[in-house]
Amino acid sequence: MKFAREHYLAALACAATLAAPLHAHHSFAMFDNTRSVTLHGKVTEYQWTNPHVYLDIDAEDGKGGTKHYTMEMTSPNMLHRGGWSSRTIKPGDVVTAVMSPLRDGQPGGLLLQLTLPNGKTMLPGVPNAQRYKITS
Amino acid sequence: MTTILPALLLGVGLAGLAAPALAQPDFSGTWERYPAPEETADPRYAPTPIPDPQLKPEHRAEWEAGQKILAERLREGQPAGDNYVHCIPDGMPAMMMGMFPMEVFQRAEQINITQEAFNQTRRIYMNQTLPNWDEVDPSFYGRSVGHWEGDTLVVETTGIKENVRFRWTPHSGSMKITERIRLLAPDILQDQISIDDAYLEKPWTYSYSFRRMQDYKLQEYICEDNREYVDPDGNTRLKIGK
Repeated sequence: MKFAREHYLAALACAATLAAPLHAHHSFAMFDNTRSVTLHGKVTEYQWTNPHVYLDIDAEDGKGGTKHYTMEMTSPNMLHRGGWSSRTIKPGDVVTAVMSPLRDGQPGGLLLQLTLPNGKTMLPGVPNAQRYKITS
Repeated sequence: MTTILPALLLGVGLAGLAAPALAQPDFSGTWERYPAPEETADPRYAPTPIPDPQLKPEHRAEWEAGQKILAERLREGQPAGDNYVHCIPDGMPAMMMGMFPMEVFQRAEQINITQEAFNQTRRIYMNQTLPNWDEVDPSFYGRSVGHWEGDTLVVETTGIKENVRFRWTPHSGSMKITERIRLLAPDILQDQISIDDAYLEKPWTYSYSFRRMQDYKLQEYICEDNREYVDPDGNTRLKIGK
């Protein structure tokens, strides 16, 4: 059991490194990995689907209003192996999300880390995570 | 005495009957790629590197053009193939090194292998005759038949769709894949693959290794809401909102 767990963590860490880039899953090139954006707001939807899980939030815009963002995550099986479940987040939760924004300017990105209402910060196991700069 | 002797004889008889079955190893269970990324493989169990296919000259140009695009994409961090982006599974032989763990279901008459990514399942019919490639409708996994040669499961597959390609390698409809699958150790499985095709000057051979997983349950993978698409310039984009 212990072996298995450690193994998964290692696998997750590298699922990414995917030294064998031939095994890269979907493309993450559409995200700007040179910078990050931090959002704080209320979850409107947490969609546990393949090929990707999506997290939608109404983030505070700093002017008293909110702006809607959609963030892509990896797949349910990879997230599950990394300790996430379909119930990790629910609509109404107030969270802080760090994402690599979409290059094309649409309000969305790739989720890099998430702080839950209980203060716990979770990593979504992004492949090649070290390539995504956190600047925000 | 009189009761024990027949019992002993019966026991010997049963053991005799069971022996052929015991000679065949049981591959049932869940397996993951070996070695894991960044793990150094035990040389006894390491997979063999996959060489470039030795294509005949008339097919080499197409392959080389594809490899150029592939290399460019990998540099940009794009996926190697378009299949996954379009929610399409690997097919054979790529699914034997699919992205996630695989599970083997073994019965005397049929062996199924399921790859977690896209719930892909291939079915190997034991001790049946391999049909000619043009007797089956082309498909992602083709038609597979298997038989045991000692402790080795030999699987022959044909009928793979021409657009189901491994490493962007063109192949004819008559391509045949022969696999020799055996345990190298109780928890290490090896799949030696040999691809024969009229497009190749000689068979394309390599091997995969797998490690048994403990207590892992394969998860469902239905490509339910694919928001990624490839735009006309070949870039993968994301649809925001539904």
